[in-house]
Amino acid sequence: MGKYVLKRVLQLIPVLIGITFLTFLMMHAAGSDAITEMYSNKGAVSQEIIDAKRAELGLDKPFLVQYFTWLGGILTGDMGVSYVSGKNVFDTFISKLPATLLLTLLSIVATVIISIPLGILMAVKQNKFTDYILRVLSFVGNSLPNFFVALVLMEIFAIKLGWLPVISAGTSVESAIMPTLTLAIAMSAKYMRQVRAAVLEELNKDYVVGAKARGISHKVVLWKSVLRCAMVTIITLLAISIGSLLGGTAIIESIFMWDGVGKLAVDAITMRDYPLIEAYVVWLAIIYVIVNLIADLLYHALDPRIRIEEEH
Amino acid sequence: MKKKITLVVAIMMIAVMVVGCGCQNSSTNANKEMTIGDTTFNAENWEETVNPHNTYNGWACIRYGVGETLVHYTDDMKLEPWLADKWENDGANKWTITLHNGIKFSSGRDMDANAVKECFEHLLATHDRAPSDTKIASMEANGNVLTITTSEPNPALMNYLGDPYACIIDMAASNMETGVVAGTGPYVVQEMVTDDHLTLAPNKTYWNGTPKLSKLTIKTISDGDTLSAALQSGDIDAAYGMAYESYPNFENSKYQFSSIQTSRAFFASMNMTSPVIQDKAVREAVAYGINKEGFVKTLLSGHGVAGNGAFPDGFSDFGGDKVTTAKKYDANKAKQTLEAAGWVDSDGDGIREKNGQKLVIRWLTYPSRQELPLLAESVQASLKDIGIEVEVNNTANRRQFLKDMGSWDIYASALVTAPSGDPQYFFTTSCVPGNDYNFGAYDNPEVTKMVEDLSKEFDSSKRAKLAVDLQNKILEDDAYVFCSFLQMNMISKSNVKNYTAHACDYYEVTADLDIE
Repeated sequence: MGKYVLKRVLQLIPVLIGITFLTFLMMHAAGSDAITEMYSNKGAVSQEIIDAKRAELGLDKPFLVQYFTWLGGILTGDMGVSYVSGKNVFDTFISKLPATLLLTLLSIVATVIISIPLGILMAVKQNKFTDYILRVLSFVGNSLPNFFVALVLMEIFAIKLGWLPVISAGTSVESAIMPTLTLAIAMSAKYMRQVRAAVLEELNKDYVVGAKARGISHKVVLWKSVLRCAMVTIITLLAISIGSLLGGTAIIESIFMWDGVGKLAVDAITMRDYPLIEAYVVWLAIIYVIVNLIADLLYHALDPRIRIEEEH
Repeated sequence: MKKKITLVVAIMMIAVMVVGCGCQNSSTNANKEMTIGDTTFNAENWEETVNPHNTYNGWACIRYGVGETLVHYTDDMKLEPWLADKWENDGANKWTITLHNGIKFSSGRDMDANAVKECFEHLLATHDRAPSDTKIASMEANGNVLTITTSEPNPALMNYLGDPYACIIDMAASNMETGVVAGTGPYVVQEMVTDDHLTLAPNKTYWNGTPKLSKLTIKTISDGDTLSAALQSGDIDAAYGMAYESYPNFENSKYQFSSIQTSRAFFASMNMTSPVIQDKAVREAVAYGINKEGFVKTLLSGHGVAGNGAFPDGFSDFGGDKVTTAKKYDANKAKQTLEAAGWVDSDGDGIREKNGQKLVIRWLTYPSRQELPLLAESVQASLKDIGIEVEVNNTANRRQFLKDMGSWDIYASALVTAPSGDPQYFFTTSCVPGNDYNFGAYDNPEVTKMVEDLSKEFDSSKRAKLAVDLQNKILEDDAYVFCSFLQMNMISKSNVKNYTAHACDYYEVTADLDIE
């Protein structure tokens, strides 16, 4: 087990080098940089000033030199400073992380609370009225883009009813309700169908028929056997969701002014703030690898029939 | 025992009533809080603090009433005294500026010439544009008189000292690391969280009136839909940077608009190296063929002003209304001009040809100013009517294309043509060969000479005349077409007072800002 975990963590190194290099390459291919963006938005200045500013940030150097300078910094624990604010990238990133972590946690909890019971209900009531209604609702929920759901919630709960604030006042519970709901609605719509499919698949397996034939009640079979097996699928889905949520739900964070890493990344991309963008990319890569590793370990714990690699 | 309990309860009740009364009184006197939603106070706009010496942070410093400058722009962009009472120039490099008496920084320190000198010294050492704009070589402080010597004659010095970067701050009390500075404005920074909010409290020692609000919050809202929803829901009391499409939500008695014409021009620069543009008839036809009024009325829903010259009509003493050579929209005249030059539609496809070459113009523009793609659409339609095909290249990477002079014919951009109220800036940067914003390589020796004369002329009426002559000249050459000027709108709830738009876009928060 320990060797397996170590191996997976070591796999992270080439992944990180690969994606940071590709990100750098793509940003340069975009044909603009932080200095160009700054002066083109605000006013005319002489080319000498632009050149001097670019040289100050090292943007005048060849692409590979810029990349390896950055990589060298990372290896010595220095993520550099933001081109825009001049502040330490690591500190800036860490300061925004709690807000994203909170939003991720709340969204996952809300999604689990909504989608698992409804998904099970859909499976149990397969092809009945309840199933049809919930399937239609999940279809609608799946079709709506996040930003649209956000605007609808704002219109209802903030503008018409006046119950909730449009903009976040820090990371308060009141401010978190609408962004959480926005994310949970979209995710639940997707997972209800997945949970339904996973539960139905298990319900049709021989062991369920056998258990019922032995006189074990439907409830016991459902809660003790079927759900446990179906959880493997559900955990995979949740793992992927946690990964993307921890990367920051950029649009939602921007719409509700939720001061997390997603919004930070969007702003950094707009301003071509390379050190911040790279920090975000590194964070995303680490999160995906770790979350997937945890999911793999959980599969094994939930269903011992699944062996982790070293046990083959 | 019972009596004791009764006594204690009675004392507690009286105490609660007294405290309660006290709180009520203080809240009645001081509870005037207001929140402004603003799309610009963020790192995305290079305005992450209120330190005026850092890139464009000065806009936040002056906009939110933290800092003030020596001179103030009127709404027709003329200079008037502010922290300085008067200024004189010796006709060459020496300026004598007399400061207003009795002004204190919010830190409590007197704002004298020495404090101003310290502030400018730091500005010149750290700011990217200030040294070349102001050309300050040395300064001397004596009581309330500051003497500035420039490295070369700089008639526009005082205009530049009205730029947000020239906000006067107390260097001893300002924290340049965090970006929280002590200025002379009606408000002081209480809390600042970049990209989230700025909380301001009244400056109790303010010299020019009494700030009306007990607390003012500038809330950063980058998303246009969120800004609109926040104003409708009452989360904010006023909004800066509302998108045009949201205006209908506020065109009712619950809200008010403050609108003003600015010198942000949306204009086309001709690429003088392009063979098709080198044909004077084509340039002239384009100038006649762009329906400026139609663009403003239809695509901008009236939220703009059609352009005439490089500056808006009525602007200072050199506005577009004084220009005589600008071409008004006249499709027939455009057609006649092209026909006379040999551009005719011989194959009946609606596009003119000459010597087998179709009349196609490559129009380069960019999307970050919402008006520019709309202008491209408008031009495409109106020039098609006169037989010119317009191929639009609307790209964020326009600088890449601008470098390749063979890849475009006309470049449409947005520029504040007189940010400091002085005309020289536009002509120097955009009309002199080799200069940074002369994208189309326009080169008229007569114009270059006039720009040089302008840079040495101190007499304001002569400067104005030169500015008008220059506009006439560049429009005679059809090197530029000034299509429209931005009309800035600030929206607030009807109970907000004095949330007023200014032509220079600098003074959003003043001591008069109030809420009922």
